[in-house]
Amino acid sequence: MKYELPIFDVKHLNFLVRGQKILSDISFEIFEGEYIAIIGPNGGGKTTLIRMLLGLETPTTGEIKIFGKKLRAFKEWYKIGYVPQRATLVDENFPATVEDIVKMGRIAKRGIFAGVSSEDREMVEDAMIKMDIINLREKMVGTLSGGQRQRVMIARALASAPKILILDEPNTGVDMLSQQRFYTLLAKLNKEENITILFITHDVGVIADDIGRLFTINEKAIICNDPKKTLSCEEVSDLYGINAHALYNHKHEHQQ
Amino acid sequence: MSEMLSYDFMQRAFVAGLFIAILASMSGTFVVLRRYSLMSETLAHSALVGVAVGLVAGYNPLWMAVVVAIASAWLIEYLRSTFSLYSDAILAIMLSGSLAIAVIIVSLGGAFNNSLFSYLFGSILSVTDEDVQTIVIFGTLSLLFLLLFAKELYFIAYDEEVARTSGIKVKFLNFLLVTVVAIIIALSIRVVGSLLIGALMVIPTVAALQYRVGFRNTMLISLFFALFSVVFGMSLSYYYSLPSGATIVLSIIVIFIISLIINKK
Repeated sequence: MKYELPIFDVKHLNFLVRGQKILSDISFEIFEGEYIAIIGPNGGGKTTLIRMLLGLETPTTGEIKIFGKKLRAFKEWYKIGYVPQRATLVDENFPATVEDIVKMGRIAKRGIFAGVSSEDREMVEDAMIKMDIINLREKMVGTLSGGQRQRVMIARALASAPKILILDEPNTGVDMLSQQRFYTLLAKLNKEENITILFITHDVGVIADDIGRLFTINEKAIICNDPKKTLSCEEVSDLYGINAHALYNHKHEHQQ
Repeated sequence: MSEMLSYDFMQRAFVAGLFIAILASMSGTFVVLRRYSLMSETLAHSALVGVAVGLVAGYNPLWMAVVVAIASAWLIEYLRSTFSLYSDAILAIMLSGSLAIAVIIVSLGGAFNNSLFSYLFGSILSVTDEDVQTIVIFGTLSLLFLLLFAKELYFIAYDEEVARTSGIKVKFLNFLLVTVVAIIIALSIRVVGSLLIGALMVIPTVAALQYRVGFRNTMLISLFFALFSVVFGMSLSYYYSLPSGATIVLSIIVIFIISLIINKK
């Protein structure tokens, strides 16, 4: 079913902490099937914005609607898959197999009194197959590599059949090869499964070919509808300060 | 064994002890994974205030322990969520504060006697029919809660924030968990004693975690360790006339040390 309404409809969002502006007059819409990256300097408000979209922080002023409903009235949180920043930094002693973690993705959707259904089992199985972790299902999560853990966390998010995946710097603690594999996976999920992707990254050059829009957040938001054209080095420099060159697109440099 | 179980007081102690082993190890799994270990100690000391009031005022100490432990659990959750204080500091303040209040109450009431000693360290002789009934009623309710919400509590223990964004009522379940833990601790006082119940809650899970297996198996191993240590500890208590809380806790510590050695990396 295609949603006519935006998944997220954000209007004039402001967020202040002890009088200091963290986010200022942010407005945007996110529609089904979009692939959006968020970039910006550390402390610029990227994570705060995502936390507000997820209901973990309350905006000082402004309004957020999810699937047409005001955030407070929204109950179908299983439609949103979230992979936080520290997802790969697992407590090594935590008693969880890969399958235990992926199954968590079904808990909220299933409800309190319902047992595990065949649909639950299928969705968990399917998510593990998609993320290529089915052969790791009995392994303890603490024994996996960063890249494998990353795929487990995404499989957990996918198990609830979300409409949108929100990922906060998902490549923290992940090697380069796994990062490439991860971006390929995200693009595939977006194109083949029509899952909307919204994620914070610093590797903007790497994903410039795949993403549809780029949100640059540094207290205010600049929405770029053509990331490749709009993302000049100068603009990134303005956003990040003097260290912008380190972030700029090595892939494009090679192509030139 | 059959001679030991021929006595009514031992039958009562075993029913209460086995029930408490199940409750303590199941709730203990969540307590340990949520890093609430110190909370179980704090609530046990708070329950002692209830015992002191009960002994001095002539009410059932077990019921009073349940009431005061629940009130303390709620106060801790309130302080933790309302004020920007370190959680462990709040627990330390509550722990020593409760002990101080309990000591003052029993001193003023002149209740420093064997009865108080049994509440501190547990006594298989002291478990009454009424105690067993209270333990079975409240214990069954607590067990139902733990079984019903086990998957949600496990998710919260793994990642509270992600659980919340999935639509799980984290605040409500946290509140219920501390309430149930408070009830279990208060119920355990008769057999294990308020100064030792924290160990029965925490050590079986910590020992089970050494085997590095999934959640379900960790819980089952923890349950087995708790049951074994309660049966073994109460038997030692019977044969050597020792406080049951101390023998139970020493049994589980031995299991923990063995688990540590077996699973050394």
